[in-house]
Parts: sequence; structure tokens; C-alpha cells
Amino acid sequence: MSGPAEHDPHALTPEAFRAEVHSFEFWFGAVQGYLADRAYGHRVDAKDAAPEGADRDRLVTALCNYCVGETAALEGAGGLIEVAPNRPTKIFLSTQAVDEGRHLEVLIHRLRELGVEDPEAEIARRANPSLLAFKRRLLELVKGGDWNAALFAQNVILEAMEFAVFHQHAAEADPITREVLEGIIKDERRHIGFGENELGRRIKADPGIRGHLALVRRELDALVLETFEEALASLGAPASAREDLGRSYRQTVERLGFA
Amino acid sequence: MSHEPEVPRKRYELEDTGFDEVPRKYRKYYRRWGGESDELAGNEVLCPVCKVVVRSNREVREGDRIYCMACMTRLRVVRVDGRLEGHVEY
Ligand SMILES: [Fe+2]
Ligand SMILES: [Fe+2]
Ligand SMILES: [Zn+2]
Repeated sequence: MSGPAEHDPHALTPEAFRAEVHSFEFWFGAVQGYLADRAYGHRVDAKDAAPEGADRDRLVTALCNYCVGETAALEGAGGLIEVAPNRPTKIFLSTQAVDEGRHLEVLIHRLRELGVEDPEAEIARRANPSLLAFKRRLLELVKGGDWNAALFAQNVILEAMEFAVFHQHAAEADPITREVLEGIIKDERRHIGFGENELGRRIKADPGIRGHLALVRRELDALVLETFEEALASLGAPASAREDLGRSYRQTVERLGFA
Repeated sequence: MSHEPEVPRKRYELEDTGFDEVPRKYRKYYRRWGGESDELAGNEVLCPVCKVVVRSNREVREGDRIYCMACMTRLRVVRVDGRLEGHVEY
């Protein structure tokens, strides 16, 4: 089967490819595939087998901290629309902001399903101070209009680590939490790829940017790494899972040319 | 810029394997990765950014450029230790 009906992505020019994947149209076709038959991120008929007792409490702490990360990403992506250098990028960020809003909503909904009556208060009580410090700094970078630094902090540092944590957590989570996390992971693929590729292109055009980003990295990545390592440890993940978390983040920054 | 002999490339008939993260018309060009033990076919390359298997309807060769739509990455196919890998090209 070939000819005009064939939509071979590999035949696109780099410009046409980028225009296609950054579009709202593409986003809509993508999310329909895995969200159309879900309610709050999981199948309606899925049976809940949530953990009890101390395990449930640890799950609540992890989800509360994911909510902090997702709130940072939501406010960050929304704020970056104004800072973004061109229209296609603004449009892509509008899809990311919608994704992050959805992540926050499904996580809060999951907290309610786990018996948390006031998720807002619970998130405030259980938020990791390091992650809160990261969020404050990220939003300062966004407010300061520093596109490269803010995008690096958000779509590389925060999201690469989130991506790895959600993977690890999903592998051993109860079925509903797993479905919720797997849906988030699918969205995050676009966000980490967008951040890495956008920054990769900018560094290629101006390698001097790297020095500035190295400072951001030195200041911020430990805050996020610490938070998520703690989350994984409390969920009972083996040490190897925590190493994987650091590794996938390091691979990303290595590809961007950081030692 | 290939130094391979001009052997015609093998063609592959792609089927939708249930990869649901890209619009329907592109789905057959991707599939989920099964981890380290997952053996890639001659038309497949692993995306190093998001760990999805990118597929082509023809055999891939060193120097080819293909795209991962799941994470919006352009990949150049390179040979490392006799195996083909996708390297990110910004
Ligand atoms: Fe998110
Ligand atoms: Fe995200
Ligand atoms: Zn990818």
C-alpha cells in the first residue's frame, strides 16, 4: 500500500515534521487515542485495588508531591506562552498547558478516590520543601522571560525526572494508579522531546547558551532529584530504580552536551 | 552518503500494533518497546529520548533520517558495534 493515502512521517522535511508535531491538530489526534474512553485518566470499569494502611499513606504522599510538580509545570507552561519566541512554539505550549492541567486534575481525583477529603490541604502538608523551592525558582525564571533557562528547568530537569519516576512507580502501582500514571507518561513524552529538541537547536545555533544552562542545572537539578528519590524510596522501590531515575536524566543532559 | 553496496532495500508491510500516542494515520510507524530483550527488525530503530520503537516501511540503513513523532525527535541512523541505533539530530 503506497501512494497519496500513505502518511509516511519519515518522508517529511524537518520543517514540515516540526510544523506537524507542534500543531494543536496533531495533539488532538494523539490524545484521542488514549484518553477518549477514560474518565479521570482510567477506564471507567477498572476495579480499584488501592493499598491500605501505611502503604496507602505513602501513596498519598507521592501523589501529593506529583501534584506539586504538575502545578509547577502547569504554571510554567502557561507562563512560557508569553515568553516563547514564535507562534508555533506558543501553540505547542498551549497543548502542554492543557496536558499539565489534566495531570493535576487526575492526580487530585485519585487522591479523593484514596479517601483524601481535602487534597489542597493534604498537598500543602506533604509537599517536599525542595520541590517547592524548585517551583519558586522555575516561576522566577519564567517571569524573568528567560526562555532557555525556564524551558531547561521545566521540560528537561523537572520532566525528565518525572518521566522516569512515573515509569518506575507505574510498574508496581495498583491498577488504577498505574493507568493514571501511564496516561500522564504518554503526554510527558511530547514535553520532554519538545524541551530537548528546542534547546538542542538553540545550543547548536549558539553554543554559548550552554554555560548559562549549566548554572541553572547546578542550582536546580539536585532539588528535583532529591524529591523524586525520596518518593521512590518511600514507595519501596529498589536502589536500582533510583539509579535509573538519575541515569535517564543524565543521558538527556549528556545529549545536550553537558558533561 | 552511504558506503554500503547498492543492494535494494527490503520492504516491510507495516501493521498497526496498537500504539496509540500519535494520530491514527501515523500509528503503524511506531510500536511500544518491550525492554532490553526486545529484538528490533531491520526496519526498526529505538528512540533514545522516549524509548518508543520507530518503524519504516523499508529497511533502515546507516545515514538515514527518521522521526519519532511520540516525542518530536529527528533521528539519524548510525552503526554502533555492528548494531543500528538512532542518534538525536537537533
Ligand atoms: Fe505533567
Ligand atoms: Fe509535562
Ligand atoms: Zn521518541
